[in-house]
Amino acid sequence: MNTIPVVELENLKVRLGRREILHGITCRLGVSGTGKVVGLLGPNGAGKSTLILTLLGFLRPSAGRARILGLDCQHSMGEARSRIGYMPENDSFIGDMTAVTFLRQMGELSGLPPEAALEQAHQVLFHVGLGEARYRELRTYSLGMKQMAKLAQAIVHGPELVVLDEPTNGLDPAARRRMLKLIADMKNEQGMNVLICSHLLRDIEQVCDEAVIMKDGAIVQHCNLEEERRSNRHFVELEVTGDDGNLRAALPEIGAEGVPEGHGRWRIVLPPGVEVEAIWGLVERQNLLVRKLTHRRDSLEEIFLKAMGHLAQTPGEGPPSPRSGFGEAG
Amino acid sequence: MAVYKRGYRRYAGPFTGRWTRFLVLPRYAWRRLYQQRLVLLLTILSFVWPVLCAGFIYLTNHAELLQGLEEEFRQFIQVNGRFFSIFMYVQAGFAVFLAALAGPGLLAPDLANNALPLYFSRPLTRWSYALARLTVLVGMLSVVTWIPGLVLFGLQVGLAGGSWLRANWSLGAGMFAGFLVWILVLSLVAMASSAYVKWRVVAGAVSLAFFFILAGVAAMIDSVFRVNWGHIIDPAWSVNQVWCALLGVEMPPGPGAGASAWALSVTVLLLVVVIERKLRPVEVVS
Repeated sequence: MNTIPVVELENLKVRLGRREILHGITCRLGVSGTGKVVGLLGPNGAGKSTLILTLLGFLRPSAGRARILGLDCQHSMGEARSRIGYMPENDSFIGDMTAVTFLRQMGELSGLPPEAALEQAHQVLFHVGLGEARYRELRTYSLGMKQMAKLAQAIVHGPELVVLDEPTNGLDPAARRRMLKLIADMKNEQGMNVLICSHLLRDIEQVCDEAVIMKDGAIVQHCNLEEERRSNRHFVELEVTGDDGNLRAALPEIGAEGVPEGHGRWRIVLPPGVEVEAIWGLVERQNLLVRKLTHRRDSLEEIFLKAMGHLAQTPGEGPPSPRSGFGEAG
Repeated sequence: MAVYKRGYRRYAGPFTGRWTRFLVLPRYAWRRLYQQRLVLLLTILSFVWPVLCAGFIYLTNHAELLQGLEEEFRQFIQVNGRFFSIFMYVQAGFAVFLAALAGPGLLAPDLANNALPLYFSRPLTRWSYALARLTVLVGMLSVVTWIPGLVLFGLQVGLAGGSWLRANWSLGAGMFAGFLVWILVLSLVAMASSAYVKWRVVAGAVSLAFFFILAGVAAMIDSVFRVNWGHIIDPAWSVNQVWCALLGVEMPPGPGAGASAWALSVTVLLLVVVIERKLRPVEVVS
């Protein structure tokens, strides 16, 4: 099995002028060829864009090493670039070209033969919803259309890895949904790996399998969102009326553990394979009345706020968090 | 099947070689260049003088047509270094305007539209991008400079015979080398000005002004300090000195061909530095 990470960083340091922007980052993201979406989160100035630009070979590391698809970002960038697609954050296009010509040229530059590039250009423009506007000059496109054209040029050559910098910027809700669906399709149907840089937690949460949270040029959290989603299913918030003094002792009957929070409120952790229906049965046997029962959602927002230091810990969770798929990194 | 019914599939076919990719940019650029009417018109106009020169060569090689002309005039109209230098001056003028008209359109829009990250995220280095753009200009200017020049040279050889070639081969080589130097300077000036200004129209004006301003400054230095080395900073003048040396024509007073070649090398180096500093996918503010 191919276990080459999509992105591998070893003590990566990047300086811009006299300032060190990335302070020795070490991590492994995604596995090449498996169709994973990795989100890169962080406040402004965290170093997300610097990291992406370094991975693309636009910036030179001052120390350490960065590899993309197993290829060194300094020494084998030519080969790596033919296997990646990049959608920049800002407007980037050639204004006086039609979308088809623009995509064809970009495809040919990535190594597609002219006929194949033309065919792919048409296909990808229909795929992103610009089929009817493909013979229009790019400068006449709306912001949303330009975003789609940027995505189209990033995938026209069928790359193994697509790097998307703020892909939903400036999109209306419908276009945003469409963009996120396209990203999910890239992963699910085309088997592409995607690296998304965004400050929109909901976007990352919706499409990503892994999330990396950056702060002040370091990775402060690297979590496996798939595992998070799975583990969230086992956390239950329960509120009961009646004498719940025996509940703690009774919980191991179903293999669960719980912590009372007073006034009939409980936080319960269910083991894998035990469904929430078991709680209902246990509570009934204890002659208690259920006032509230919810699965707790430990959202990416909570993980992000914790990583940023705005939240000491997720409410109800014992310190420190063992649930993060990868724990802290960097 | 209609393309809109096919859906998107990742490309899984063969890829082209490195050189094929390098030629993609020039191919698209040439197509766009000659879609501009002014460029096309100027290119066509620039063939008028070579056609006249071809007529002149034909005339000088047909003695019967020159019967009745004075001996002094017959001595004057000869295909020699002076003839080719005059041909080169006129074509060099056309090349200046063509470079100023077409050159900025190659680089400035890419910089103004922030397209460089798109190019450089592909297997294309900054140097290969710059070289590809340079190739476009060199190709376009070659069409109006050394190519018609060598055609004229060939015509003369064809009409005058092998003995003329043996005696004057250096004229053809000199013209070719001289034009290449001029094309290189013009192309780099056009590229550097558009990389610096990023606005196509202004970049065109700047690349024209570059030559006029430096010529003016050079003249000022000469007259203020009462010297004749001031012209060394004028690339057009320096190129002329080099041409004169290559064609064996008498040089105007001032620094010689060697010093002029050095001055041109420094100019080229400075222009390359400007281009190198400006052609970056991201601008780093330290």
